[in-house]
Amino acid sequence: MTVDTARVQKLRTMPIDGQSLKRLIDAGLTWLRTNKETVNALNVFPVPDGDTGTNMVLTLQAAWNEIKDSGARHLGEMAGMVSKGALMGARGNSGVITSQIMRGFSRCVHDKATLDVPTLVKAFGEARDTAYKGVVRPVEGTILTVIKEVAIATESAQGSAKDAVEILEVAVKAADEAVKNTPELLPVLKQAGVVDSGGKGLFFILEGMLRHVYGESLETPTMTVQPISSMQMQDAMEEVEEGQDYEVVVDFVPGGELDLGSFYGRLEGMGTSIQVGEGEGMYRMHIHVPTEKRYEPIDYIMGIGTVTKVAIENLLAQMDDIQKGKQIQCNPVEPGHIAVVVVSPGAGLSRIFASLGVAAIVSGGQSMNPSTQDILNSFENLPTDKVIILPNNKNIILAANQAKEVTVKQVMVVPSRTVPQGLSAMLSLIPDGELDSVAEKMTKALGGVKTGEVTVATRTVEIDGVNVTEGQVIALLDGKLVVSAESVEQGVMDLLEKAGADQHELVSLYYGEGVAHAEANRIADLIVTKYESLEVEVQEGGQPHYQFIISIE
Amino acid sequence: MKIGIVTDSTADLPAYLLEEHQIHVVPTILVLEGKEYADGIGITREEFYNRLPSLQTPPTTAAPSIGDFAAPYQTLLSQGCDHVISIHPANQLTTIINITREAAKGFPGKVTCVDSGSLSMGLGFQVLAAAENAEFGLQPVLEAIESTRKRLQVSAALDTMEYLRRSGRVPAAVAALGGLLSIKPMIELRDGEVKAVGAVRTTKQADERILNFALGLGEMERLAILHTNAEPRARKLLDELMSRARKFIPRDILFVNVTAVIGTHLGPNGLGFAAVRKTPS
Repeated sequence: MTVDTARVQKLRTMPIDGQSLKRLIDAGLTWLRTNKETVNALNVFPVPDGDTGTNMVLTLQAAWNEIKDSGARHLGEMAGMVSKGALMGARGNSGVITSQIMRGFSRCVHDKATLDVPTLVKAFGEARDTAYKGVVRPVEGTILTVIKEVAIATESAQGSAKDAVEILEVAVKAADEAVKNTPELLPVLKQAGVVDSGGKGLFFILEGMLRHVYGESLETPTMTVQPISSMQMQDAMEEVEEGQDYEVVVDFVPGGELDLGSFYGRLEGMGTSIQVGEGEGMYRMHIHVPTEKRYEPIDYIMGIGTVTKVAIENLLAQMDDIQKGKQIQCNPVEPGHIAVVVVSPGAGLSRIFASLGVAAIVSGGQSMNPSTQDILNSFENLPTDKVIILPNNKNIILAANQAKEVTVKQVMVVPSRTVPQGLSAMLSLIPDGELDSVAEKMTKALGGVKTGEVTVATRTVEIDGVNVTEGQVIALLDGKLVVSAESVEQGVMDLLEKAGADQHELVSLYYGEGVAHAEANRIADLIVTKYESLEVEVQEGGQPHYQFIISIE
Repeated sequence: MKIGIVTDSTADLPAYLLEEHQIHVVPTILVLEGKEYADGIGITREEFYNRLPSLQTPPTTAAPSIGDFAAPYQTLLSQGCDHVISIHPANQLTTIINITREAAKGFPGKVTCVDSGSLSMGLGFQVLAAAENAEFGLQPVLEAIESTRKRLQVSAALDTMEYLRRSGRVPAAVAALGGLLSIKPMIELRDGEVKAVGAVRTTKQADERILNFALGLGEMERLAILHTNAEPRARKLLDELMSRARKFIPRDILFVNVTAVIGTHLGPNGLGFAAVRKTPS
């Protein structure tokens, strides 16, 4: 990679105004998007829901949408728009923290027409402070630590730095080191053999800005090949990029050694969202392409190996289907009563929530975290000022809290981390009760249920003392990996054993998409046979990725 | 002035209290597989609840006739009572109170009918308060009823929504509770209305919730533990209250396997209580 020194010199001397910031944001977003899958793959548990990269891209994309048509030259004005866009578009915990970083930054520069070294250093400091304040219990070894290290490093470089570019260089270096150090601070990362995903995402944003200054390419990813099972073909919440209407997936066996560099190079000429996976000598390529190029990747790959399977899907039609599936009728909320908004990962679960009297449903969950705006939109027009949000996912709680901050309505977030917790809380709803005391009762109800989740491992790892081989069935109990098994059936049975099911009364099986009702019933029968005193209820959940979500109570 | 006290079998008062306070009870009617039973006669409560889940046609209930009430009014007045107080379940739940009012028309100025706004021991405690004050005259009796009602709390955890839904005696919002999931509703009886106060999914959760409701009441003047054939759970509730709130509960606690006439609409394995607080909430 060559640095364009003349360009760098020019950029070093140019004042950094609103338009410069706009180009930097664009660069940060582009570079992050290019490396999105790398960030997504940094998942502690070997479960198929790594989505930090996607969340951060969508958060930054919302910021970009806010500024892309703006001709503002004033730095503070532009930063304000970035902050607003990021705030409303924030998805997932890392997305929310990223939006807080933007907010702190923009607050610091709001009255500055251009950026100088002291302001930039101060802005990193404010970004750090705002990010930490946005989290109730800050955890080190995460994106928070990365922005903190950036703030510290840039502050000590302030005296010697000649220009803002030098500060940015220091920031990128500090971010890189901080990311590498995250496993030392957060034991689960070390155990799982990964660095923190949100921190890595922030690093890519900063690095993208610097690459822009250097005149380096922002489109070629740091090349990665991931296990096939961790490739995500269902970015349901992700908007289809304009012009990239088709998704093409090709399975193939290369004729010889696959030269990743040239492979990626050719694919980049055809489309976006490129992913390459490998498993058992076979490769899988995923790409989004415009309509007229939809056969190009297939033709190309046929030239370098043997194609075993091809799938072409019209993404726009897919999005339509997803939208249709979301239409579930909720009960109208009585004016002045408490309205409950839930995040639900599947159509079946949405129907159950609707039957329990929720006022609005936001589709989302694992690997499809809704944004602050999505959550806000769901309740802004309800005829009541009293709202309770059930995020039903640990990665959506922060966005729910952020929605609470930006509305004039009285909102309480009951921090449900799983669907069974959310259902349990719903049963404590008294619609005409006092908001505070109802929220308190619902929060209390969260503890009354154990949650099991059964899915397929996306990589081989040993975590929490459980050995997992990629492709095996695994089960989590209240977010902790407890079981690896050879079949879904065995996974469910072992999970119940670990949960001490014999000490409980009721097991509810919410089966996911791709699991037949008859299969779920068969497993329910096995449970009843083993645990005679246990009641078992089978419901269609319809959630992706997870064969079963199970409540044990 | 001597006041006669009349109620009906939905008050769930045990026989020894009826005798002690000379309370006259008119039995209500249970129709089980085509056969009519006067409440409490011909079939025990245990037997009824055991049979309830497997009955082909749901049992129904019927109110006594005007004559069934006119008879005791006549007797009490002719035996030297100056006035009769007739206390009955909430009119939102049964038509009994309207029948007693019709019956009272035959005794102008001599019979006062009172809608208790409650049921089972929620009604029973008002009847007891009336009986305890009967010797002091009409006004003290009415005041005692009113005072008791103000301090009354009746709560229950039902085993299923099914019987209540079928009864048609609850607001649509309560009947819809649970939807697709099987749930155990928590209910409260207030001013004659059945109100849902949430739901749970297991017996253990139900027991905990009922215990917490009771613990939240503070000091109690009267307490009855109500159940529909769930005696072991009722015993456990009592034990918990004894060990955790001995100072707050009265010395005499009633244990009531709720009458079949009410139980028909609640289903078996329900647990709850009726309590009268020391001070109004």
